[in-house]
Amino acid sequence: MSNALLNPDLLRRLEQLQLLAARRSKSSARGERRSRARGQSVEFADYRNYVAGDDFRYLDWNLYGRLERLFLKLYEEERELPVRLFLDASESMTFGEPPKFDFARQVAAALGYIALCGFDRVSVIPFPSAGGRLQNAEGAQSAIRHPPSAIHNALRSVRGRKSASQFFQSLAALTAGGAASLNQSLRRAAIESRQAGVAVVLSDLLDPEGYEAGLNTLVGRGFQVNVVHILSPEELAPTTFGDLRLVDAESGDSREVTFGKYRLKAYQQTVQNFCARLREFCQSRGIHYFLARSDMDLGELILKQLRRAEVVG
Amino acid sequence: MNFLAPLAFAFAATIPVVVVFYLLKRKRTVKLVPSTLLWQKFLAESQASAPFQKLRHNGLLILQILLLLLAVLALSRPFFAGQAPGSQLRIVILDASASMQATDVRPDRFSLAREAALRLVDALKPGEQMMVLLAGANTVVKQSPTSDKATLRRALQECAPSDSPTRIADALKTAAAFTFEKRGEEEVAAAEIHLFSDGAVPGLEQFENKGLPLVFHQVGTGANNLGITALEARSNPENPAQRALYTGVLNASSNSLSTELQLLFDGQLLDARAITVGPGETQPQVFVTSQARDGVFTVRLEVEDDLAVDNEASVVSVLPQPARVLLVTRGNRFLEKALGAVPSARLTVAADLADPGRGFDFVVLDLVAPTVWPEVNVLAFAVSPTNWFERVRPVENPALVDWKSTHPLLRYTPFDNVGVSRSTVVESPGWGTSLLDCPQGALMVAGELGRQRLAWVGFDPLESNWPLRVSFPIFIANAVEWLNPATARTSQLSVRSGDPFQLAFADPVPTARIRLPGGDTRDLDVDPAHSEIVFGDTARRGTYRVTAGTNEVAFCVNLLDARESNIQPRAELNLGQYDKVEANVERQANTELWRTLTLLGLAVLMFEWWWYHKRTA
Repeated sequence: MSNALLNPDLLRRLEQLQLLAARRSKSSARGERRSRARGQSVEFADYRNYVAGDDFRYLDWNLYGRLERLFLKLYEEERELPVRLFLDASESMTFGEPPKFDFARQVAAALGYIALCGFDRVSVIPFPSAGGRLQNAEGAQSAIRHPPSAIHNALRSVRGRKSASQFFQSLAALTAGGAASLNQSLRRAAIESRQAGVAVVLSDLLDPEGYEAGLNTLVGRGFQVNVVHILSPEELAPTTFGDLRLVDAESGDSREVTFGKYRLKAYQQTVQNFCARLREFCQSRGIHYFLARSDMDLGELILKQLRRAEVVG
Repeated sequence: MNFLAPLAFAFAATIPVVVVFYLLKRKRTVKLVPSTLLWQKFLAESQASAPFQKLRHNGLLILQILLLLLAVLALSRPFFAGQAPGSQLRIVILDASASMQATDVRPDRFSLAREAALRLVDALKPGEQMMVLLAGANTVVKQSPTSDKATLRRALQECAPSDSPTRIADALKTAAAFTFEKRGEEEVAAAEIHLFSDGAVPGLEQFENKGLPLVFHQVGTGANNLGITALEARSNPENPAQRALYTGVLNASSNSLSTELQLLFDGQLLDARAITVGPGETQPQVFVTSQARDGVFTVRLEVEDDLAVDNEASVVSVLPQPARVLLVTRGNRFLEKALGAVPSARLTVAADLADPGRGFDFVVLDLVAPTVWPEVNVLAFAVSPTNWFERVRPVENPALVDWKSTHPLLRYTPFDNVGVSRSTVVESPGWGTSLLDCPQGALMVAGELGRQRLAWVGFDPLESNWPLRVSFPIFIANAVEWLNPATARTSQLSVRSGDPFQLAFADPVPTARIRLPGGDTRDLDVDPAHSEIVFGDTARRGTYRVTAGTNEVAFCVNLLDARESNIQPRAELNLGQYDKVEANVERQANTELWRTLTLLGLAVLMFEWWWYHKRTA
């Protein structure tokens, strides 16, 4: 259950956090976030003249006593914050020790839990959608109980802390596989979502078509985007040398490479360049970028790095 | 361009092997990776599948083939033929004179010259021969012509410099004998002479130059040297009881040098004085000392200079013995007085000679043809019936036109105020030299006939005004000195290094043993007919001691050569009167290219290595 993804100690600490939104919520559903809409709450917002038909309960009688004119007190309406977690479930995420996908699910669980505790609406969007299969290890029983579409539905629009248990179960049942187009997946999800909010992209971003278009669409739709870039230790410093034929897990392409220890530095430089380009791209668009190794401590990422960047607080 | 080893082109067959290696498919480990995105830079050289497509644009293959081609070319040993026809014989002359021991270059000039000669041996091509001559006081053929490099190297390694002056002319003559060969009517130079020397070689002005193909390899740079160039021990003219040592110190450098000059007698220090010698100067020095016994005087320069050999010279000094003189005369007061006035002469006068002059050091014959001819040295005045000359002619009032004032007999004896009324003249014989000449012939002859010193004067002094001139008593004194066998013997005891030492014994001895300065000994067989030894191994400077029967004689070998002490290296040699050879005018012959090719190959190999990593890293 939740224990598989997050340990209780971490859960306790996550409960004290909440997602910080830089912008006011534009959601239509009521929640606990400040919004531009006027409505019922305890937060005073403004006055306006009384017009016929207004609710007498909101008239400011003290003002009427002083000025003998009728004014209506307006309050801020509190709305919910939609949180969308884009989870890369392509084949490439199954690599690494521990697998990158496991780490991505843990991050999704942690952020989702924070959002649920803050009465925000959480949606996990795994892509490729067809690849989000049931874990075979979980056994045939769960496949019967939860068909893939059911799991995807269960991960959509979850709200309230009481749904956390169900949320964790559904996350744990997810599995990675297949090829995904990052750009397409992000773009489709951005268009489908009616309200913007907080978007967190959990991926290795190793897509030959690039990541720029997808992230641009999210930013364009008004999302406050965070990217958690997950790489495995093996990807940062390969340990296999010699004359190799590399087979791409997603596309099946093969490349011949002669790789020796003396070229390790050059490879690491390539990875660094890739990350630096990504970081620069994100900075120029107001996207928070976090580089994470799949074997790093989850608490370190959530409690330190995200907190320092004021994504959670 | 020609090739010394054209068979090496067979190695070119390895080039297709390299191409085949490129065509072979490499076995690779298959590895599944999340994405090949990060690996784009490390892709292997060619992704092409068609075999021959792989070879196109493959720089590494081209470089490797180039490398292989260079290696094959180097193995085939190409060369450019030189302009001059290659000599079949190279004659190496190593100057082994004293000046080659100079240490102005490290370790010394001779070692450097020998190294250069060894390099010449290395450069010897198959079929070419080389011979090695060592030119010291004598020219020694260290190695006759051979093409065996090991033998040549060994011969060169065995060469050592001597303490003697150079006689390069002899070596060049020897080399010339090997150089020219007759082809039809004309003589063609078939060899090349390589002279390794510092150029401090005198005596080439008279060398008959026949267009020797001479290459002069010059060694040496500086000339920081002080050297003793003269040494002689004599009686002090002012006080005959004392000995005077005349010596000369040469400064060959271009700076003034100061040092201490020491005088030793049998190894014991007698005197020392500080001297300063200007650049290029020779400074005479005279030591006056008393001498109680026969011994060896040594003059030593306490100086650290480039040449050590000439910093010390020794001379054997024998106490002067009075000469026992027999005057055979019918009466000549002038002669008697003059002989009696010589302090080192003990005079006896007789009317005739009954025995061959036993018991006397020399005999003076005054107008007397003796009954028995003396076997000792003779001074004869107007004695005609001798077998010394072929023809004796009388002349009247001969005009004295020339006299040899350099001869020891005529030292300080001018004849310009001497008139002779009657005389006999002779043609100067082979055994002696003419000392006093008139147009008709020689009036005075001196020389050595066998082991007898003879001085012959053609006129009666009383028939001239000579006895009234100051030159007469001086001549008599000179004659006593020159004819005294002890003087002759003393002069024999000083030998220049390289010259043979000659010594006659009064009594026959079967063998003689000579102890060299280094401590080595040599045994000599003495010819019983002459009881005389001749010893030629005098290349080392120092005091030699001869033991023969009961005789013990010391003799000294010295360099005493201003031209050797002047170790200034010369860049050019004068050959004969007009021709000269400059240092290091080597002829370029057959330049081999394999070294250059090998270096090029190495450069290609390093470039390939760099490119391989540059391209893929």
